[in-house]
Amino acid sequence: MRYPSHFLPASDFPLGGPGRLAELPPPPAPFYRMTTSVFRPGYWRLALTGLVSTVSGVAAPAYDFFICATLNRNYVVGSKIVTTNGVFQRDATQGWAHVGYNDTTLSAVAFDPRDRQVIYTSALNGCWRSLDGGRTWQINTGWEITEARDVAVDPHAPDHVYLAFVNGVAVSTDRGQTWARREKGLPDRGKYTQTIKVDRTRAGRVLAGCELGIYLTKDGAQRWKRVLATRGTVNELQQSWHDPKIWVAVTQNDGAWASQDNGESWKQFPTVPTSEALYNIAMDPTQPQRLVIGSWAHGVLATEDGGKTWQARNAGLPEPHQVWRVGIEPTTGRLLASVVGQTLFASEDFGRTWTREALDGSRVNAFITVPRAHTTASKEK
Amino acid sequence: MKHLLPLACLLLCALAPLRAQPSFSGPMPSPRVVEDAAERRRAYLARLDEEIDWVAGDTKYRTDDPANFDIAEVVARLIRRQDVDGCSRRVIELMQQPGTGPFWMFPTVCLAYTGRDLLSAEARASIRQAWRTSRQIRGDTENHFVMYYVSLYLMNELYPDDAGDQWYTGRSSAENRAEAKAYLTNWMDLATTVGQGEFNPTHYVGEYLIPLLFLKTWARDPEMRQRGHIMLDWIFAELASTTLNGVLRGPNARTDEGSVIERWNAMASHFSWLAFGNTPPPAAYAIWGVYFAFAGASYEVPEVIYRIAVDRSGDYVQRDHKRTRRRWRYSDVEWAPIYKTSYMRRDYAVGSYQGGLADPIQTHVWDVTWAEPDPRGKHTTMFSLHPHSSPRVLQTYFATYPEPMVKAVTFEGKPSYDSPDKVMGCSPYEQVFQDLDTVVALYHIPAGERFPQINGFFSKDLRDVTEDASGWIFARGGNAYLAYRPLAPYRWIPYLHFNSGWAKQRRDLGGRLLVSEHLRNGTIVQAASASEFPNFEAFQSAMRALPLESRLDPVPSVKFTTLRGKAVSFTYGKAPVVNGRKLDTGTWPLFEGPYLNAGLNSRRLVLTHGNLRRVLDAAALTITDGPDKP
Repeated sequence: MRYPSHFLPASDFPLGGPGRLAELPPPPAPFYRMTTSVFRPGYWRLALTGLVSTVSGVAAPAYDFFICATLNRNYVVGSKIVTTNGVFQRDATQGWAHVGYNDTTLSAVAFDPRDRQVIYTSALNGCWRSLDGGRTWQINTGWEITEARDVAVDPHAPDHVYLAFVNGVAVSTDRGQTWARREKGLPDRGKYTQTIKVDRTRAGRVLAGCELGIYLTKDGAQRWKRVLATRGTVNELQQSWHDPKIWVAVTQNDGAWASQDNGESWKQFPTVPTSEALYNIAMDPTQPQRLVIGSWAHGVLATEDGGKTWQARNAGLPEPHQVWRVGIEPTTGRLLASVVGQTLFASEDFGRTWTREALDGSRVNAFITVPRAHTTASKEK
Repeated sequence: MKHLLPLACLLLCALAPLRAQPSFSGPMPSPRVVEDAAERRRAYLARLDEEIDWVAGDTKYRTDDPANFDIAEVVARLIRRQDVDGCSRRVIELMQQPGTGPFWMFPTVCLAYTGRDLLSAEARASIRQAWRTSRQIRGDTENHFVMYYVSLYLMNELYPDDAGDQWYTGRSSAENRAEAKAYLTNWMDLATTVGQGEFNPTHYVGEYLIPLLFLKTWARDPEMRQRGHIMLDWIFAELASTTLNGVLRGPNARTDEGSVIERWNAMASHFSWLAFGNTPPPAAYAIWGVYFAFAGASYEVPEVIYRIAVDRSGDYVQRDHKRTRRRWRYSDVEWAPIYKTSYMRRDYAVGSYQGGLADPIQTHVWDVTWAEPDPRGKHTTMFSLHPHSSPRVLQTYFATYPEPMVKAVTFEGKPSYDSPDKVMGCSPYEQVFQDLDTVVALYHIPAGERFPQINGFFSKDLRDVTEDASGWIFARGGNAYLAYRPLAPYRWIPYLHFNSGWAKQRRDLGGRLLVSEHLRNGTIVQAASASEFPNFEAFQSAMRALPLESRLDPVPSVKFTTLRGKAVSFTYGKAPVVNGRKLDTGTWPLFEGPYLNAGLNSRRLVLTHGNLRRVLDAAALTITDGPDKP
């Protein structure tokens, strides 16, 4: 069996060798929603071998879709501007319902896959945790941990929570009750960590995007090693919805990258620009060859051939199309773009045309898709 | 006669604020040193009373309408026992929409402690409830953290045994206190070993002094009370030693455009007025300043600090060690050392630092400032800078992307940040050396830099500005003679000023900028007292006669014999040399001068003035007056 090549960055990218399905984890929930029309032969075999019944029409699970958003314009500490900010959930009317506290500083949110009542948010103060679905919150990171950038829960060890922040990485092994810095292998300087993601296939396998590159741990952050050196901060990491060996990353100075071997080695998407910072990347749960990048300078960059070619998809976005984040709704493949100083924009045709959404004046810091029933939370931050 | 009515109206308008803020618009304070301790105390309490009365009085602070009173107005009325029931009602209203951060927290702490025996049970409960339900943002600067943790600490001492579900943090009173104490102890250790990060701030000095006063006044834990007291003395001592006639001089880790050019117009002047009585307070007592007055009766600067500020027998050099703001990226060190020099004379002060980027936006690196009989409205300063604006520098200190913050900060209280003609900020391409009243600033700006120029500030209050054929520009400021030597060609433009952090328009206040659009560049400034020369011409002649060699290629370099006879050699990228000796920053003390002395990492500051001596020992947590024990 060969793994799919649906988003190879270059034609010479080595394909994965024969795999054993027993090694693969349960697929992410959005897999169940894919249509056969997008399957390539290799992928089809994978599906046939392991998940025929799900592809053949068993009722798809529902999803919850969240954003972390700031609705304040020009808020600074001390400002008397008061609006509602923080986590919002897509509701049945396609509106956004505020969840939890008003906090202007949330950068990401993660959920305990065993219990959706357990929520973690990364914020200016550190990591906030709720054990009751957002009704009450507690912060157990101390003063040393500030300006948190990202948070992730290990789906195979859900008591383990990883926090990326401006001065490194902190880890909790007791559901956010206590925290410790785990930075062995990270550089003394250059460990500004913008993004952190847990490999959903194995416990304790985590990738961190730092100032000086991508770092990988296989033992719950006991030891990190650099797997990609960069000239500037790695802004985002994502694991494929369709094949967990495949990861993508975007950076400040080095463009976009992909790995087909679980993040062990990386190759650059050769046609993605490197001249300006790329803020985030999202992978379409409904169509494996579709990826999209959000960027202040470039707006929306999209590919529908697994990264071989990329197009700017900014027609219909207001000028200047300074895009803070892009996200993809998991059930529909609907593309969303948060444009700075504007609002949220939506596209039904993967960025060819755009319409205004709600949330005037908002800045979305993270789009989060969470299967309603089980499995892991997944983020397109 | 018909012209008198408008004149009378103008006078009335002028008198109105005079009644409202007597010392702001009143005559200059007497420079007399108050010898009698009781008289000093009375005068200090009178100044506190003036502020409290002004906020509590019928004259306008913000509003006459009790329904619109802010927390300060409620606190002032509580102190004066005015309409206590109305205060309680207003507190309940105010707590319906609590704020979100340290600038809400510390006023609320002041309210809670001032009102603990005065406010109704419902009003006190409303404050308590707000601290349960409103998430407080800690901020991202050193002063934010100090305000946040002092406030958290004191509120959790006021309600010492509450469970986690009673606090927005979700943690118990004991846990909150422990975290706050840990941070504050760490900050104090850092400040007393290698210096403050936000050193000599023109405004943020209040964001330290006010919470520290609260800690000294209200902390139950004697250790924290003592820590508050030591740090209050420590920061007031720094303020005393770096002011001339109550006006803060020299470099500032953080300041703003207004205080850079009108040095008196700063929160620091409010504290000089309160503690030393030697300069008027700024308008509205710098707004936040009133919170110090509310608890100020529990503190008074010791005589030794008072005298350092007001009673000086001669010129002095003060060297201080500070540090930069914490760097998250693009740096081999978390914070870099800052080596600061101040030279104080009766007629002027010269101050500078070496060490690079103290803060990405609001730093002021060096200046020569002169004394004026009344500094209000006077732009008593001369300096140059490279107007640097850079995403990379912002990213060094902030969790931000490269593009948005440059423009964003111009809408967030720092409007000039991305302007080529700005007068505030530091640059990675500026290196400065000072020896007494000589400053050499060298610039090596790379091609492609956003603003390839340097700006020299020439005040509206300079007199007899003369562009001499020798290349020197001579001027008089107060009783100081000034010589400014640009090392590259230049042109003049009007200086246009943002009147406040949120101003959209700029105003021409009469000053000029010397703009020199050359990448390799430099400035030499020499100051002297008018009393040292028979006349201005003699000063100019003396300056023309000083040996000076300069070159700009391949890097800027100056050899200059100063007015004080020192042979200074300074090349960009190399250590300055004075009289053949390299400057050694490796031995730079935490404080060194006639009044403040402390070894690096010592945590022990010795304050001296004449026979007076006080030792602030932040390690032993002691304050000791008198001579060393044998």
